[in-house]
Amino acid sequence: MSTPVLETENLVKVYGSGESRFDALKGLTFEIHDGESLAIVGKSGSGKSTLMHLLALLDAPTAGVVALHGRPVSQLKTKEVSRLRNETFGFVFQQFFLNAHQSVLENVTLPLKISGWSKADRERRGLEVLTQLEMDDKAENKAKDLSGGQKQRVCIARALVNSPAVIFADEPTGNLDSATSEIVEDILFGLHRDHGITLVVVTHDDDLAARCSRRLIMQDGMIVSEEHGVLVDHHVDSTLGTETDTDDDTFDPSQLGLEDQDEIDGADQAEQSEGGRA
Amino acid sequence: MKSFDVAKTALGNTLRSKLRTFLTVIAIVIGAFALTLTFGMGAGINKYVDHVVEGFGQEDEMYVMGSQEAAQEQGADDEGPSEYDADGDSGEMTMMGTSTLDDDDIDAVRDIDGVESVQAIVMIDVDYLEGADGEQWTVNRMGESVDARALEMVAGDPPAQDAMELAVPEAWVSALGGDSPSDVVGDTVQLGFTNLAQEEETVEATISGVSEPSVSQTGQVPTPSRELSEQINEAAMSGLPEEQPSTYIYAVAQVDDMEADETSIKEQLTDDGLTGMTLEDQLGMIQGIINTVTWVLGGFAIIALVAASFGIVNTLLMSVQERTREIGLMKALGMSRGKVFGLFSMEAIVIGLMGSLIGVGAGVGAGVIGNALLVNGPLENVVGLVLFAVDPISIVLITVLVVGIAFLAGTLPAARAAKKDPIDALRYE
Repeated sequence: MSTPVLETENLVKVYGSGESRFDALKGLTFEIHDGESLAIVGKSGSGKSTLMHLLALLDAPTAGVVALHGRPVSQLKTKEVSRLRNETFGFVFQQFFLNAHQSVLENVTLPLKISGWSKADRERRGLEVLTQLEMDDKAENKAKDLSGGQKQRVCIARALVNSPAVIFADEPTGNLDSATSEIVEDILFGLHRDHGITLVVVTHDDDLAARCSRRLIMQDGMIVSEEHGVLVDHHVDSTLGTETDTDDDTFDPSQLGLEDQDEIDGADQAEQSEGGRA
Repeated sequence: MKSFDVAKTALGNTLRSKLRTFLTVIAIVIGAFALTLTFGMGAGINKYVDHVVEGFGQEDEMYVMGSQEAAQEQGADDEGPSEYDADGDSGEMTMMGTSTLDDDDIDAVRDIDGVESVQAIVMIDVDYLEGADGEQWTVNRMGESVDARALEMVAGDPPAQDAMELAVPEAWVSALGGDSPSDVVGDTVQLGFTNLAQEEETVEATISGVSEPSVSQTGQVPTPSRELSEQINEAAMSGLPEEQPSTYIYAVAQVDDMEADETSIKEQLTDDGLTGMTLEDQLGMIQGIINTVTWVLGGFAIIALVAASFGIVNTLLMSVQERTREIGLMKALGMSRGKVFGLFSMEAIVIGLMGSLIGVGAGVGAGVIGNALLVNGPLENVVGLVLFAVDPISIVLITVLVVGIAFLAGTLPAARAAKKDPIDALRYE
């Protein structure tokens, strides 16, 4: 079995101290493998966002270890961590966080600008990614002139532009209507399937979570259950869940088949959910 | 992020809220403008003074005058009148607060080590100048032969010191029957004056050239050569049975190495009861005053700049606040604290640079135009006046200073931006 992309050991995050002490994460240990699609599911306050921040190296744990490609990152320098984030991760946020007055292309190439690419290389790579997402005709438009779905596509392009190993998506469909959500989800899972990009999705949207190959269900800073396999009926069935364990068995050969099925079902489901919610 | 991209992004960011940047820049412009004008005027007036100095004499000359103490009014101190001494310098005349020199004084100066030669300056009083056609023109004042080598000539040459020559001012050319300055060069003229017995005397001289008025007021009157002025003086002092002792207003000592010998020569002059002044002594004080005024005015301009720098702090703090999310995003996408700091500092520098370029440009423009208007207008009569000079070094220094102040002002907001936590910045509740 390959080295996990990300692994954690006894991850603890505590905010405040004394009476205002809040244990956001209470000792989590798990692994995320290359090419996996993982959903971190839970109500607000369950600690799922905190977990994503720690995984994405945006924050340092109070105790415990986060390792990237088998290498613990907690003791790395801030600058080194920044560089790792820039080169290894892509981010998709619910709120898009696009620069409204900048062009689509400028927004998409921001990570490359930060990592010091030349302007010509940046634009070439940016257009490449925009073409991949069928947004190349909007490259010169201002980000503020786009629709919500287009904005999220730009965000995905931005997350993809540095060819990341892992894409973190924080409620990627939270601000979109259901039809647009479907399209964005299709894009994300298409990338996951076609390019082997590891996908870590934080969501409370069951439909989105169901399309992932594994789900960590969180409650009060702990992983209360873990589910494997893509759910066809888009309903998180707790009977499929297993107790939290670090023993990873998601990489069974059947996964590919499941994903193929997912693709077909996904198309069906787009119609279904659209009809259902209308 | 590459430095070029940092600079470009910073420029783009400052242009994002144009009105705010504009208002901040205005404050900087005012400071930079005031600073440029002040130092430009200081440089201009100093230049004018330098020019005046040039006309007054040369750097290798020391002006020797009688001691100022000797000329002080009697009874000015508590000692009362001094006892008469027949052998003392009792016959000295005083003039303009300093006593005149006699031959003994000139000899004493000549004997001082380091003094190459001494030229005693006599005051000559010429009544009229008669042109080749016999017409006579009143001479109110004759120039001094020491000025001869500093004359600015329109035609011909300055009078040769050992020939009977003189230079006439440009304004005299038509009176002397010439159409253009070169017409009168080489003409012979008669100079008329009275001796001590009130008898008319004349001396013949050749016009060596035509001078134009200079900053130091030389060249506006006929300027004789040393030989001519000595001849006139000798003739003017004649007429009485007893030979009159020569008196000189001052003497000009040529010094080989002024820098090395200045102090020792001055000491020896003091011992001889004389005072020596170099060109620097005469004008150093004026320049000192001009420089002081320049620095005081410059100080006010710097206060204006400091006030403007708080405008930068304010603007950038607002900008950091507004762009919290953008900063958070950039940090999440891997921008280091240093680069975030650099980006915001660069915005301060861009504002400073815009302000200084506009301010210095406007200052130079206003200075040059104002100078032209004043010098060719109300102050036309002041020959060679310069009120404003463009000094490239001070312009560069002012720009650097303004940008430096802007950078310092930017450090606080930039540090605040650099400290922002990407998680807090990206939280959207």
